[in-house]
Amino acid sequence: MPTESHERHSRALAWSWGLVLLLSALATTWLLRDGLPTDTRLTAMLPEDRQAPLIERADARLSTSFENRFVVLLTAPDLRGATRALAERLSSAGGASPLLSRLIWRDVDLAEADPREALGAYRYRLLTPALQQTIDAYGGASLVAPALRSLFSPAGQPQLVADPFGLLGRWLAARDASPVEAHDGLLTVTDDGQRYALLIGELADGPYSLPAQQALTTAIEDFQQAHPDAGLLRSGLIFHAAAGAEQAKREISTIGLGALIGLVIILLVVFRSPRVLAQMLLPLGCGLLLALPLTLALFGQLHVLTLAFGASLIGIAIDYALHLQCERAVAGSRFRLRPLLPGLALALVSSLLAYLAQALTPLPGLRQMATFAALGLLGAWLTVVLWLPRLVAPAHPATARIAERLWRISMPRRRLSPSVALLGAGLLAALAAWQLTANDSLRLLNPSSPAMLAEERQVQRLMGSDTGSRYLLVSAADEPALLSRLAEIGDTLDRWIAEGVELRYTNLADSVPPPAVQQANLARVERLYSEPLSELVARAGLPDSVIERARSRIEDVPILDVATWLGSAIGEADRRLWLGKIDAAQADMPGNMAAVMPLSGVESAALERRLTAFAERHANVVYVNRVERLSSLLGELREHIALWLGMALAGMAIVLAWRYRGLAWRVLVPPTGAVLIVLAIFGVIGVPLNVFSQLGMLLVLGIGLDAGIFSVEHARRPSTWLAISLSTLTSLLAFGLLAFSATPALHHLGLTCLLGLAAVWLLVPWVRPTHVGS
Amino acid sequence: MRERSPRRPSLARPMAVLLLLLPLPALAFDLNDLQAQLGQTKAIEGQFEQQRYLADLDTSLDSRGHFTYRRGERVVWVLEAPVKDRLVFTPDSASVIDESANASNDRRRDQVAALFLRLLGGDWQALAERFEIAIDGDVDDWRVTLTPKSAALRERITGIELQGGRYLEFLTLHAANDDVLEVRLFDQHPLSDSNAD
Repeated sequence: MPTESHERHSRALAWSWGLVLLLSALATTWLLRDGLPTDTRLTAMLPEDRQAPLIERADARLSTSFENRFVVLLTAPDLRGATRALAERLSSAGGASPLLSRLIWRDVDLAEADPREALGAYRYRLLTPALQQTIDAYGGASLVAPALRSLFSPAGQPQLVADPFGLLGRWLAARDASPVEAHDGLLTVTDDGQRYALLIGELADGPYSLPAQQALTTAIEDFQQAHPDAGLLRSGLIFHAAAGAEQAKREISTIGLGALIGLVIILLVVFRSPRVLAQMLLPLGCGLLLALPLTLALFGQLHVLTLAFGASLIGIAIDYALHLQCERAVAGSRFRLRPLLPGLALALVSSLLAYLAQALTPLPGLRQMATFAALGLLGAWLTVVLWLPRLVAPAHPATARIAERLWRISMPRRRLSPSVALLGAGLLAALAAWQLTANDSLRLLNPSSPAMLAEERQVQRLMGSDTGSRYLLVSAADEPALLSRLAEIGDTLDRWIAEGVELRYTNLADSVPPPAVQQANLARVERLYSEPLSELVARAGLPDSVIERARSRIEDVPILDVATWLGSAIGEADRRLWLGKIDAAQADMPGNMAAVMPLSGVESAALERRLTAFAERHANVVYVNRVERLSSLLGELREHIALWLGMALAGMAIVLAWRYRGLAWRVLVPPTGAVLIVLAIFGVIGVPLNVFSQLGMLLVLGIGLDAGIFSVEHARRPSTWLAISLSTLTSLLAFGLLAFSATPALHHLGLTCLLGLAAVWLLVPWVRPTHVGS
Repeated sequence: MRERSPRRPSLARPMAVLLLLLPLPALAFDLNDLQAQLGQTKAIEGQFEQQRYLADLDTSLDSRGHFTYRRGERVVWVLEAPVKDRLVFTPDSASVIDESANASNDRRRDQVAALFLRLLGGDWQALAERFEIAIDGDVDDWRVTLTPKSAALRERITGIELQGGRYLEFLTLHAANDDVLEVRLFDQHPLSDSNAD
């Protein structure tokens, strides 16, 4: 019996814990007054590339321009009618809060702002390469005939004084490399004789808005029902986001609900009391309540992945409640908390150590997740120790019966000897080391189906657009120098292309020629305006005054700069290419100005190497492959987790050796054995390792350690074995079922847990000590 | 027409049907009628005279030649004076206007060519997307006025007038910069399929 002072002491502790939780609740409400500040960007989870903040900026610049748009390509027997019908559905989608801020689908939609107005003054400094060559070689005499034709064609729009040779029209036509053409009042692209109508939507609310996804999906489904013979090709983040959300919703209602129902049934069958069930969940709630405000206060905002994985990791805390409850149910009135405390404390310390090790890594996402999970685990543990013993819980006799029966049927008569265990571990490790591969491909994070990705690629190909996933980052001292540098690189790439290299690039210097080139172009136009202009005017039968008036226009021509170009309607699309001023102090490249040059069509490894080598030869050029880069960051994340996990395990081994001496290996076998078994199985069946399977290992290790500790602490107790079995079974339900998820990340986490937890449960009986126990 | 009497349906109904079948001059000649009338001829050839008034220079550019037109397919515009040239307009591109420029990529020019084709063909459904269309006159002497709907288009074209009888005879296009394009089509006659090109 506890003494009275002891009782007073523990009551005071329980009250203070209540006070802490109350403060947490208040802090949470205050912090969440404007909603939960969550971060959904995937890259926010990855380490900030401190060596390359400029690359981060370039990445962000290139990706945001894609996020709020989507493209639909349509084929139909009655293309015009079908396109109009789809456009009407899309425009009216969303009802009172429209889905789209703009829909482009008619040929006139693209001609709304006339670029001639904004760029008219600069036209004499802007010449296409073809025009430059024509004037350099022949003085431009061959340009007279087309100019005459435009004067007399009924479809011509001649500007005799401002631009008799139509220089601006040619230059703008050359700027517009897009394969989109006007046809029958529509915007179309053609592929292999097949004509597609083009619709470009600009989203009012961004791709992650659920109502927007809903409205878009409905509009397109309705359209497809009304036009079964129409074919659709979709591209845009919102389609992938919608499919992902749809898949998550489906899985929550199947996998998630299934796991929850299974969990409740098992706990009810064993404990036969809804009140016990509530007591099991109370620590989890309290843990979350402690973790949420503290993590928010530490990090400012929560990443969605932290919330998802962190909350799952806190789920391990159900172990503590299970052990307490199993013991209480079997021991009945003889139940005391004190004998359980060392095991519970060690279980907590082992998990905290594993998580806090992650919190020391340089990866912001991992740090946040580990902090969140460690705090939650601590909160749950305190609730179990301080509150649960004080709460009345009915102990049903069935619990003890179940524990006895489980003990009888599942305990093997033989045990594993240390040498066999060591041999087994060595074999498994060798198998894993020999066969196991790793795959850090970014595709793991992409829940889109292969069909959707193929559709996306087809649209990108038809539209001739780049995804911004490969680019050259170029810097220089000032704007003219940067433009010259870009132009030189463009010339180099042109030479490669002339050699037969498959490559396309988008160069800002093609749109805004370096000042020196603009100067040379003006000199060419002066040459064109001498003989050829006189000839044109004479052959058209116009008065000579036209010549003087046209020539007066080229006397004081401003130089086109980047800001003017990007501010014009036609140059708007190039804003993603311009990084502008860079902070020289923190920049990873020399210079004060930077721009990007997106590349597409880079298919071969040889070209990849050539680009890398090219960039390495120049101090102010960097070649970036975003997919590769993000993949390598993911790989780094995976290696960090493995390293810190190994170190945590080594630390744990020391602590365990100090408490359990010769029995320490029995504690370590379930967690490490399970991890080795999973690694070996992955190696044999050819599943590559990735960051998500490793997060699963973290769970397996935590639960395995708890199982090992309790099994050694209370070796011969059926109640402990029941608690261990329930703990692995509930975790199997919660995480193992994710193996059936179609989302690659969740699938890998789930598969690891499924195999690992099963291995933990199978290993524990084989290594339980023969005697000892409190 | 007299009100139908329920007591004497046998006489009233055939009369009403008969009245509807008669071509009444009182009924307005509308765009559908005109389209049907123009659509009767699948291919035409004829002469043209074109005058482009350049407001900026206060002078005019005159040209003439002959043309062939195949409905919905193309116009071949053969300039005879003051320069000799052959222009082909199709709904997809005005490819021959300028070989040296990348013509197929110039959406703007394609639009002008497509507009020209639609004006010749009286494709009101397509034109109505961008223009308010008014018609008056009758089958032998009609006049159609097109006014741009969007401000963007009004910055380039203020209005278009078409006049004609059996065929389109006059086309006048007022540009926003006060330039005026006037095209007169004459000596027009239908072309049989065999020699149409």
